Amino acid sequence: MLWLSSIACNGNTHSFLNYPFMEQFLNDFEFIYHPVIDSNYSLKEIVSETIACDIMLIEGTISDDFKRADVLVVDIIKKYAKIVKKIVTVGTCATFGGIFKESDYENATGLHFDRNKPIDSFKNLLDKTISVSGCPVHPETLVNTLYAIKKSVDLQLDNFLRPKEFYAYTVHNGCTRNEYFEYKVDNHKYGELEGCMFYDHGCQAPFTHASCNKTLWNEVNSKTRAGMPCVGCTEPTFPKENLFNTKKNMGIPQDLPIGVGKRTYLTLAGITKAFTIDRLEKKLFDD
Amino acid sequence: MIELIEKIEGEAKLNFSFAGEEIDFVDIEFMTARNIEKILEGKSALDALVINPRVCGICGHAHLIATVKALEDCYENIEISKKAEIIRELTLTFELIQNHFKWFYLTMRPLFGKKQEVLKATYPTQLMAKAIAVFGGQYPHTSYAIVGGVVCDITEIDIIKIKHYIEETIKFFETNLVQADTKDFLVCDNVDKVLKKNGDLPDILREIKKKKYLDHGKSYDRFIAFGENSYFTKGKSHKTITTHNISIDYVKEQDNLNSLAKNVTYKDKYYEVGPLARAMINKVPLVKDSHRRYGDNIFSRIIARVCEIPQLLNHSKELLEKLDLSEPSYIEPNIDISQINASGESAVEAARGSLIHKVELENGIIKNYEIITPTQWNLGNGTRENLGVSQQAMVGLKDVKTAELVFKTFDVCSVCTTH
Repeated sequence: MLWLSSIACNGNTHSFLNYPFMEQFLNDFEFIYHPVIDSNYSLKEIVSETIACDIMLIEGTISDDFKRADVLVVDIIKKYAKIVKKIVTVGTCATFGGIFKESDYENATGLHFDRNKPIDSFKNLLDKTISVSGCPVHPETLVNTLYAIKKSVDLQLDNFLRPKEFYAYTVHNGCTRNEYFEYKVDNHKYGELEGCMFYDHGCQAPFTHASCNKTLWNEVNSKTRAGMPCVGCTEPTFPKENLFNTKKNMGIPQDLPIGVGKRTYLTLAGITKAFTIDRLEKKLFDD
Repeated sequence: MIELIEKIEGEAKLNFSFAGEEIDFVDIEFMTARNIEKILEGKSALDALVINPRVCGICGHAHLIATVKALEDCYENIEISKKAEIIRELTLTFELIQNHFKWFYLTMRPLFGKKQEVLKATYPTQLMAKAIAVFGGQYPHTSYAIVGGVVCDITEIDIIKIKHYIEETIKFFETNLVQADTKDFLVCDNVDKVLKKNGDLPDILREIKKKKYLDHGKSYDRFIAFGENSYFTKGKSHKTITTHNISIDYVKEQDNLNSLAKNVTYKDKYYEVGPLARAMINKVPLVKDSHRRYGDNIFSRIIARVCEIPQLLNHSKELLEKLDLSEPSYIEPNIDISQINASGESAVEAARGSLIHKVELENGIIKNYEIITPTQWNLGNGTRENLGVSQQAMVGLKDVKTAELVFKTFDVCSVCTTH
């Protein structure tokens, strides 16, 4: 594998280092180059020669004028794209442009998408690419995708080339605050275990595709379980603005859970508001 | 002679100039910058809590804590509970520890011809990342510290978990880094005692002596630390004279003609930041002994950084004991940030040294944001007449390979340096 870093913060690299079964992984895969892990080739050799490899991992936003070891990243990608069997865009920057789309580089985008708009520049590579978005990517999402590639598993992909295995879920699935959402108990206060953050605090969990609450981060937790609103970091829209506020039109959240129409939402809200569930109104550990 | 330095969270170019057999100047060039400060302009203040951890994948948490403190500094009065302060300090401490392990095992040891041991780096760093995740939901790139406190509410059960992560990390340190009881090690004030021990740290230290590297990496012997907390002291030190009366007002950032990294000075002088600086200012006995014998060289720099691990692990145990779970994690500020017109600044100690953030808000919108990273202090590209800290440390060496080793003892982070 070749791990190529474009305009990045290296967050995906370090997230990957948190993969819990690293020993097994390193026995099963070999890097011809990785930004942190020692490999047989230097970056200079990677850009000046063509070293045989099967998978190219791209981290970071891609731009026409960004270079690695004095060579344009787009040229490195073109060269290796010809010889690899698969390309994996690692993280939201390489997939959609992400935060560094806003940096000063020219035509800064993901490999195949500019936010949610498909782009033409690497269209010929569409069949080879799998995207694992996230800022950063969840290490298990990345590693298990690589194992699937190695085993030639025919992964089902969504419209953004993301494996459904990980992105068919929403962050909302498995959130420990789900009941508060269902019954519209929106009195969330930071620093508490109770309350849903969707209604007032900008939480994007009900419409963000990712398995954060199914495959926990660092094997122990997730942002929403801890009490931080989901910032939608796996989506083409990341980063939206005003992240800690829920945008509303006439009191209705602008972005509703996937598949829920405004009218349906109003009806549902009317019904759930009729409930007053004592258990959800008080603190979890109160008598 | 131009050398491409890689695997430094990006890359840099070192252009070596020789006078006879010795390096007499090194031009340090960082070629890429993402302009995060510009990305922040015009955004809502709280969005900086999400964007800024993305300055760096390895020390993003320090950027989060610096951001939240700079934003809170914009308030005339803001109340933060002791509990939230301790939790923030704990997570920042855990990040420092994981950085130190990664630096030692992934970067340092291979430079001494040892095989890179990825698993020795990832095992303890994963434990520390888990401890952060218990509080912050995930690591890296959480934004769990918000203006007014932290988002989490933890229980005694969480604390038990975190204690186990700390104990397990201590065990790893004692089995691998220095085979000794951490408690003895913390009071050790004699380098010779460390050199007699087994372990991956004494191994490298003996190597430095054997290879006659003891005069390598000396710089100005001038140190500074701005980030004050319950463990680190603010101050500066020159040779052995330490003062604590310093102010961010005298910190100056200057554009660099040849590199995208800006230089940073204090009262127009270059200072070293990082674990060695902190230890000199905090007067850590073992590091003071190393400094007395060998000065501000690579030996002292390595021992200072690795020895910060047990100090911080021990301190984090004490911090955990002080947590009063009945306190609130978050106290809502009395003024909404969207009404704030003010500027604020902060300084925290990140793994590589002092990190400074400055922000200017207009109706809660970011008008201006300035970030000064530790690596800017250490890796500044000075002139022949006024060399930067790492340049000074490389001048006089006879070959570029040793110079690269010296350069990397400062733990180069390209993404932080240019941000």
